[in-house]
Amino acid sequence: MTPTVQVEGDAGRVILSGQFDFSAHREFRQVCESLIGNSAIKEVLVDFQNVNYLDSSALGMLLLLKEKIGAANKTLALVNCRDTVKQVLEIACFGKIFTIR
Amino acid sequence: MKILVVDDTEAVLLLISRFVEALGHTAIQARDGAQAVALWRQAQPDLVLMDMMMPVMSGPEAAVAIKQEAGESWVPIVFVTGVGEENRLAEAIERGADDYISKPVNFRVLEAKLKAFNRTLELNRKVREQSIKLASYYDRAEEEKRVVQHLMDQMVNAERLYDPLLDYWLSPAESLSGDLIAAARTPGQVLYVMLADGIGHGLTAALNVLPLTQPFYSMTEKGYTLSDILVEMNNKVRQVLPVGRFVATVLIAIDEVAGCVEIWNGGMPTVQLLNRAGDVVTHWRSAHLPLGIVPTQSMETATERYYYSEPGTLVAYSDGLIEARAPDGEAFSEGRLLQLLHDTPGPDRLEHFKNTLADHLAGESHHDDISLVMIRFGERAALAAPQRNPHTDDVDIQALVGSGDSMWRYTLSLGAEELRYINTVPFMMTFVNEIKALVNSQSDVFLILTELFVNALDHGLLNMDSALKQGEQGMERYLLERASRLADLKQGVIEIDLAGLRINGRDVLRIRLKDTGAGFDYSRHTELVPGDMRSAHGRGILLVRSMCASLQFLGSGNEVVAHYIPAVNA
Repeated sequence: MTPTVQVEGDAGRVILSGQFDFSAHREFRQVCESLIGNSAIKEVLVDFQNVNYLDSSALGMLLLLKEKIGAANKTLALVNCRDTVKQVLEIACFGKIFTIR
Repeated sequence: MKILVVDDTEAVLLLISRFVEALGHTAIQARDGAQAVALWRQAQPDLVLMDMMMPVMSGPEAAVAIKQEAGESWVPIVFVTGVGEENRLAEAIERGADDYISKPVNFRVLEAKLKAFNRTLELNRKVREQSIKLASYYDRAEEEKRVVQHLMDQMVNAERLYDPLLDYWLSPAESLSGDLIAAARTPGQVLYVMLADGIGHGLTAALNVLPLTQPFYSMTEKGYTLSDILVEMNNKVRQVLPVGRFVATVLIAIDEVAGCVEIWNGGMPTVQLLNRAGDVVTHWRSAHLPLGIVPTQSMETATERYYYSEPGTLVAYSDGLIEARAPDGEAFSEGRLLQLLHDTPGPDRLEHFKNTLADHLAGESHHDDISLVMIRFGERAALAAPQRNPHTDDVDIQALVGSGDSMWRYTLSLGAEELRYINTVPFMMTFVNEIKALVNSQSDVFLILTELFVNALDHGLLNMDSALKQGEQGMERYLLERASRLADLKQGVIEIDLAGLRINGRDVLRIRLKDTGAGFDYSRHTELVPGDMRSAHGRGILLVRSMCASLQFLGSGNEVVAHYIPAVNA
């Protein structure tokens, strides 16, 4: 899976696709760091529209991202979470610490 | 390069050697095949330039011998051939020679070939170095894995996991498991079970769950509550693991005396409670974040309670189980698991599950650790009245009451503030566990202390009414009310005094508790009907009375003294 980035005003959207697991580690981090480093961006959206599976190491990556985004004074939201993705996020109770739309 | 030049014609030998030296290499000379093999052995040249037809041993024969001895390391052998030797040359190359150059030797061609071989040799050397490095990495990784495996086996000791109520199965995706099952009994005989799932699988996942074992076992042993243990485990995980690492955990307590199941589910799949027929009676979805994500002070450690009225089985599992995929990609799923548990209520349930899962996987290996825990409860007939402690019969109670000499004393006095946050009895058990005379009686002492302490706090200081416990949801109501009164407690003191006495050559434990509450009419408590053991109130004091040699309420009922004769050391 190769994440793509769309910038819409002050929001940066990371669009993921396919399986989101440890193999996506490198690309995901690079893409996110480019958004964090961009001072014009205030909000980062992680878009799960085309993701059909995510595992616990993906949840770990989201936690790391949240930490970095908080340190950069930006906000983070997980968007377009459906089916399996929604289920996994629900089991982990990530709704308590993430904005999920 | 160091080049071995072999030719039986002196002029050719000399000519080629000069060529080689003119190109900046070192030449070693041999005059037949046998000499060549001997010299090769001695000087270990990088490359061999050899004539075909020679006395004693021919070139191709020498080539075979050298290649054989060189084994894995590559020594290029180049034949210098005359006209009409094509057939033998082809054969020699088939048997391992690397190239040839025609006589008369052309200086330019020789130079080009040596350069080419030098490049290939360089590449070959690099590959060999890397493969040696890789092999040593592999060995080191295997050794590390062996050590961690040993460590895990010690910390997650399977013998410790034996409990008559517990069936479990754990199948790691790799040699190390990131799923962890732990089980132990509190001194009050409540069964605690933990199922944890670290992020990922293999070594790093196994390391993630390791910090949980020590607090789980040591705190269960002292009778701490699930909430206390959760706090400690979350602290440990946050202390030890980096950001982004967490452990999904389910903690279960089964108290067969009170008929109560207590659960905390943080990030694990739904825990199911089945009745005897295998139908789901109730379930607990994940209600909390996994351990290690939020700081302990903002963590919710409240557990959910369920009072059962019939025997049943509690089922917990990791996500690796329901996500295990068949070759066609179909997941095992929760539905299939529940159906299977429903269809086989008997003792071969676990065996049947294993077979069904194996059929589902159809030889594919699963990619995440799989674990399943089943805890049976309520099977023993309603608990009979506790047996009178057999050690108490031949002891003169009057002698005990009068006795003031103590070998040791442990006195504790707690005010309202401390009572709010110190879990007193488990705290005292740390000391009790050290006393040699009590080594076989920890469970009894824990029960007596717990009952007397609850009596002093709930009824003495908090003025709780046991009648609240009656009816459905009664216990829940009682505990909520108790928590709110405890939070509001402004004043009051509980004094606890433990003393080790020695009377007529026997060890005796004296337990004295005093609270600053109004007391109660203790004459009523001696008249409780022993058959009423399962009812939630009054049971406690009766239980203590049956375990102790003497139990006396003093003053207005706000003070109690118990004498307990410990079981004699085996």
